[in-house]
Amino acid sequence: MFKIAVKDLKLFMADKRAMLLTFLLPIPLITLFSLAFGGSGKSSEARPTILIMCDEDKTKASHHIVEQLDSLKEIKVQLSSLDTIKRWIGNGDEDAALILHKGLSDSMDAGKPLPMELIYDKAKEMQMGILMSALSGNLMRFAGTKSFEKKALANFDKQNPGMDSAMREGVHAMIASNFSGGSRDGGKDEPMLKATPMEAQKENSPGLVQAVAGTAVMMLLFSVAGLGASLLQEREDGTLKKLLFSPLSPSNILFGKMISANLVAMAQLLIMFLFSWLVFGLNIKQNIPGLILMIVATAFACSGFGIFLASVAKSRAQVQGMTTLIVLTMSAIGGSMIPSFVMPAWMQHMAVVSVNYWSIQGFYDIFWRVLPVTSPVFLMRVAVLLGIGLVLNFLAVRLYKRNIKSIA
Amino acid sequence: MELLQGLFIPNISPTLNDNIHFMIKVENLKKSYGDVPALNGVSFEIKEGEFFGLLGPNGAGKTTTISILSTILEPNEGKVTIGTYDLKKDPGQCKRTIGVVTQEIALYNKLSAYENLMFWGSLYDVPADDLKNRIAETLQLFGLADRQHDKIETYSGGMKRRINIASALLHRPKVLFMDEPTVGIDPQSRNLIFEVLEKLHKEGMTIVYTTHYMEEAERFCDRIAIIDKGTIIAQGTLNELKNTGGLKESIAVTFLNLTDLVKTKIGTFLGGEFKFEENVLHSYTSNVKTDLSRLIIGCSEAGADIVNIEIQKVNLETVFLSLTGKQLRD
Repeated sequence: MFKIAVKDLKLFMADKRAMLLTFLLPIPLITLFSLAFGGSGKSSEARPTILIMCDEDKTKASHHIVEQLDSLKEIKVQLSSLDTIKRWIGNGDEDAALILHKGLSDSMDAGKPLPMELIYDKAKEMQMGILMSALSGNLMRFAGTKSFEKKALANFDKQNPGMDSAMREGVHAMIASNFSGGSRDGGKDEPMLKATPMEAQKENSPGLVQAVAGTAVMMLLFSVAGLGASLLQEREDGTLKKLLFSPLSPSNILFGKMISANLVAMAQLLIMFLFSWLVFGLNIKQNIPGLILMIVATAFACSGFGIFLASVAKSRAQVQGMTTLIVLTMSAIGGSMIPSFVMPAWMQHMAVVSVNYWSIQGFYDIFWRVLPVTSPVFLMRVAVLLGIGLVLNFLAVRLYKRNIKSIA
Repeated sequence: MELLQGLFIPNISPTLNDNIHFMIKVENLKKSYGDVPALNGVSFEIKEGEFFGLLGPNGAGKTTTISILSTILEPNEGKVTIGTYDLKKDPGQCKRTIGVVTQEIALYNKLSAYENLMFWGSLYDVPADDLKNRIAETLQLFGLADRQHDKIETYSGGMKRRINIASALLHRPKVLFMDEPTVGIDPQSRNLIFEVLEKLHKEGMTIVYTTHYMEEAERFCDRIAIIDKGTIIAQGTLNELKNTGGLKESIAVTFLNLTDLVKTKIGTFLGGEFKFEENVLHSYTSNVKTDLSRLIIGCSEAGADIVNIEIQKVNLETVFLSLTGKQLRD
């Protein structure tokens, strides 16, 4: 079977077009997706997103929120009037804007719901999911915490009307300190900011991880489907029949194909991650064992998919049609094209049936969540991918043995 | 020809004594695809070093037989022995004993001739050094040594076919199955392949050959089996096939006009076996030389204007036609 694998690799390398499609085509796609999903380099180096804001409250509290948002690395606030903003969005010049309505400060003092509104272009609902996700956590800390702090102080004053001013001031300082994350200086807001951005603690930008992993898996599925189709090409060219005349068993022929498909798949993934490291600064060195494990598991699952497809299909034309349909569907629901967290809940549940989902999440574990290689969550994803690969390869062997009889 | 159908005595068994060693023994082979029978109890034996032709019209069962003998198809019934190995019990050894040259050119176009031969040879576990030597010899034999590092896709059809045959010889098989190895190739390649076949035959290789070209079968085959509708309907040497079937040579005379009166006059002096087909007279004879002059004189005296005379000898084509009712290339 190694002879078959070596021959297949030689054939693959002799086919310049296949080499280009496998190793070079994914690179512009990764570049495109990387730029689209958050630029190059580490998260701290990412270019900030422009956030259009309108401050109608014009109080100290509303200024505070604007300043806090503007100080985030990911966001650059641009203030404008409500009329202008509505015109921009109506014209499609801007996607969304955050409006701090009048009464914001009073609502914070009274502990009431805050009159903040995100208005956006209805055609851009998908992007809004991402923006809402990014903003809500920060706003909760900048405005919501302040609101709760004011409410706590008001309740304390109401229940202790006779307390002398010095003691009252001391208790207020303690309450403020608790809400500001433990700072002794309750009047300063810096601790709130430090507690907010999880991204700042990470080595890699989640957008970059998404772009690289998503594109890599999608392109890999296309590539291995092509490699699997080589089995059908052998059939069409008569070389499979000739192989069956030789002492090789039919299973050995298929295992040889599997080995070569796995090797090419691993090489493709490795090249894509090396490219992302060299060009976009994706830190692949932070968990090399994890990366190797995930590359092996992903390659195994994807090559299983390719071989399975070749065993089901009757011709190369069928493989091409099925590949386009299945890979695009899996990539769409599995999070290769758009991050799964922006999808509706039912689609997120469906994502688990795709190779893409498990693989992308595994790469997130390595590069974004920075889980150790021994993490049960990470190992579970590796196990699922290996399981998918095993099932697909097993089915492929069964189908292949059944179909091989028709070759004679 | 219709006159002769059914007169042939089929299944000429070779007279073999105990000292002859059979390389292939096929006994009562049966195979059907669903309800459609492909082989109905095929039996034949091939001696060691024999060049054996398997002829039959399309769909007769040749490919099924070859597929079973070359181990990629299982029969429903019957027994096959190749060398000393039972095909069913020891297919691995049988595979190492045989080489198969398929009708289609089964090579990897993106690899060079050398790389192709290295790959196909390596499947039979030929030691690397031996294999390299054998490849060099084989390329020399087929006249392609100077092109060995060119990719197959740059080769002509004839050159590809030569490499296709070469790839089946590297493990030095004792039996070579060749299925239409000369289809669609140039005369130069065909002659080269013929030379190689003669050489292999002289060296004692057992060759099982299927072809649509009668002249190839007549030139090379020691014995021939004719298969039709899944049954061997005749087998023997070329002379046995020609002589034992009662086939005679014929003289075909074409006339300008042939009236009933002339036909009667000709029939009177001819005697023997003859028939008219429109303006053509077919006279069957066992002695063309004497009958030809008598025929010409008799026809002139009968007032018939002769346009053309053709002597039709008994050959494999006529044997095949009489047995199957079809041309070999049908």
